Amino acid sequence: MNGAAAPAVVGLDELLLSMADDEFVIGFSDSEWTGIAPLLEEDVAMSSLSQDELGHAAALYALLAEIKDTDADVLAYDREPADYRHARLLDHGRGDWAMTIARRYLYETADATRLEALVDGSWSPLAELVDKIRREERYHLMHIGTWLERLAGTRGASRDRLLAALETLGPDAGTVFTPLDGEPSLIESGVLARSMADSERAWRDSLAPVFQRLDLPIPPPTVDPARGRTAHGNDFRWLWGEFTSVRGADPGATW
Amino acid sequence: MGARGDPGRARGRVNDSGRIEPALEAWEVFRQEKEGDPMRHGGSVMAPDADLATHYAREMYGRRQESVRLWIVRRADIFDLEDPDLLQPPLDRSFKKPGGYVMRDKLAAAREAAGQEKPKARAK
Amino acid sequence: MTDPLALDPVLSPAERSSGGAPVRAHDEAYDAWFERFEAHVMNGGKVEAVDAMPDEYRTAVLRFVEMHANSELMGVLPEREWLMRAPTLRRKLALTAKVQDEVGHAQLLYRIAEDLGKPREAMFDDLLAGKTKFHHVFHYPTVGWADVGMIAWLVDAAAIVAQQALRDSSYAPYARTMRKICWEESVHIMHGRDVVVTMVTGTAAQRAAIQDALDRWWGPLMQMHGPRSLREKDMDLRWRIKAKTSEELRQEFLTIYVPRIRELGLVIPDPELRFDEDAGEWSYTEPDWDELRTVVTNHGPMSEARLEFRRVAREETRWVREAILGVPAAA
Repeated sequence: MNGAAAPAVVGLDELLLSMADDEFVIGFSDSEWTGIAPLLEEDVAMSSLSQDELGHAAALYALLAEIKDTDADVLAYDREPADYRHARLLDHGRGDWAMTIARRYLYETADATRLEALVDGSWSPLAELVDKIRREERYHLMHIGTWLERLAGTRGASRDRLLAALETLGPDAGTVFTPLDGEPSLIESGVLARSMADSERAWRDSLAPVFQRLDLPIPPPTVDPARGRTAHGNDFRWLWGEFTSVRGADPGATW
Repeated sequence: MGARGDPGRARGRVNDSGRIEPALEAWEVFRQEKEGDPMRHGGSVMAPDADLATHYAREMYGRRQESVRLWIVRRADIFDLEDPDLLQPPLDRSFKKPGGYVMRDKLAAAREAAGQEKPKARAK
Repeated sequence: MTDPLALDPVLSPAERSSGGAPVRAHDEAYDAWFERFEAHVMNGGKVEAVDAMPDEYRTAVLRFVEMHANSELMGVLPEREWLMRAPTLRRKLALTAKVQDEVGHAQLLYRIAEDLGKPREAMFDDLLAGKTKFHHVFHYPTVGWADVGMIAWLVDAAAIVAQQALRDSSYAPYARTMRKICWEESVHIMHGRDVVVTMVTGTAAQRAAIQDALDRWWGPLMQMHGPRSLREKDMDLRWRIKAKTSEELRQEFLTIYVPRIRELGLVIPDPELRFDEDAGEWSYTEPDWDELRTVVTNHGPMSEARLEFRRVAREETRWVREAILGVPAAA
């Protein structure tokens, strides 16, 4: 199963869609900081991170589009809100800078763990893409890690806001590892190296020493894990309304 | 490029453990466009420490893949020398430059004495 | 125009930014040094940030660069309003990268101004208090996606004409930055033109939206470089901070872009616009200088809303700057 031809593996489209939607939603959300971040230099940095995520989303949608014989933009834009499969962690709106850093840190570390289980996968188009994505995500982790340390290590408003953000996001942090219906067949065919549950354990293990050192609360067990990638809230409904507004105004037009 | 009149100069800041941390200050960025090229000054970024200065240098001078290497230097660590007495001293230094050796006429005389023609320029 | 002096003819004396330089008592040594400095820049000499320079020159450069920086910062907002609505993945990436570039340009320009002696926070204070100005085109609303194309194509094109003429500025850090900025802006113009051409060749509604955007933006575009001024009276020209007059820039813009607009079948909303072969230049309906004056003094349709948006955003992130970045309070 090494060729570029899409393998007939149950769960492959579900996997690609969940990954693409994650990157698409966090890329869109965080791009809201473009122009209004705390420092001009940081503004440019955060925007780069968003563009990287959107680029990853575009590449993942393109892979899925080949399998489904459709177009990446159609996949990204032309669905109802209920049909998006991003993790609930990413449903939380932009919030303040602490919220953004906390959400990013939780997502980046979880995503890194997920990608680890895909980079040696048997379907080469995905494995190769994951390899490229991981090379870009290294910088994200460095940058967001720097911010997490600063927020956690500065007593007062900074640390208080970070703790509040972690309290809000914590119960949803593990939703990045929401089990996929097709997981057994993905593992059997070698696309995915381990179950999402195993990845979640690995992620929590890697998070523990950092959070202990910074004296931050480890995210609690996921609330309502079965619906971790469905039932999106009002924040996402707003985002969806925004990103479909131009495209939806003249359906079928080329942009 | 000294610290003189620089509004971005470090303002000390005491952190929780009593250590003094620098506040936002200017960092100069040098970039290499391709391997083997000289490092050229790009510009500067404001950052509170070397980590963020490095990230911001990457953003301001590398986000379009226009650099293969960056050097990030705290502005306060740069010594600026622009003194003409030191760099452009007024007396003759022509013996240090190829142009300081003019021997056309002497060569002609030497050839004549030796009975030689002027060598043809070799085709490259 | 990012040159505050170019605005003076349309402003009342109290609204002008010129005349800020300190008045000095007569001092022969200073006068002699000033003359040598002037001769240096008038002969194409360059000035670096660390060089000694007369206060008059420093003030002129700072005023020029500060307004340019303010304009990049405020210029983020009209397009930012459409950042979350970009209709395809590629457009989303391109627009995000473009707005990011504007922020980056603001950073480059504020760094130059900071090195001339005015802290960044103080410049933000003055901008948000209405004490300094920003480019008049950024006081207008963006009503649709067509405006995103129109701004990136023609507003940026008019700006780049002015900025290209600054690449040889006597103030060397500014000249170097302009070379970097012009290089980046050239991508924006391609992005904008691509949006416009795509819509012009699209549905009837898309084509109409582009014509409508052109109708609304043409007036501000013609005001963009400022009213005609006398070359010999312009100190920014004398000191080679800039190279071209307002009218030279406008003529250059028209020469390049009128044919490119017309080739798309778009109608420029000025019946008087034509190239006068005898005069060797474009003639056009006199731009509305009253509108320019009203708008650039923060009485434009979106002036207050955009300034307020910035004030709120700045307050929301103040804790980050104070607690984490250690930004000194404004002087």
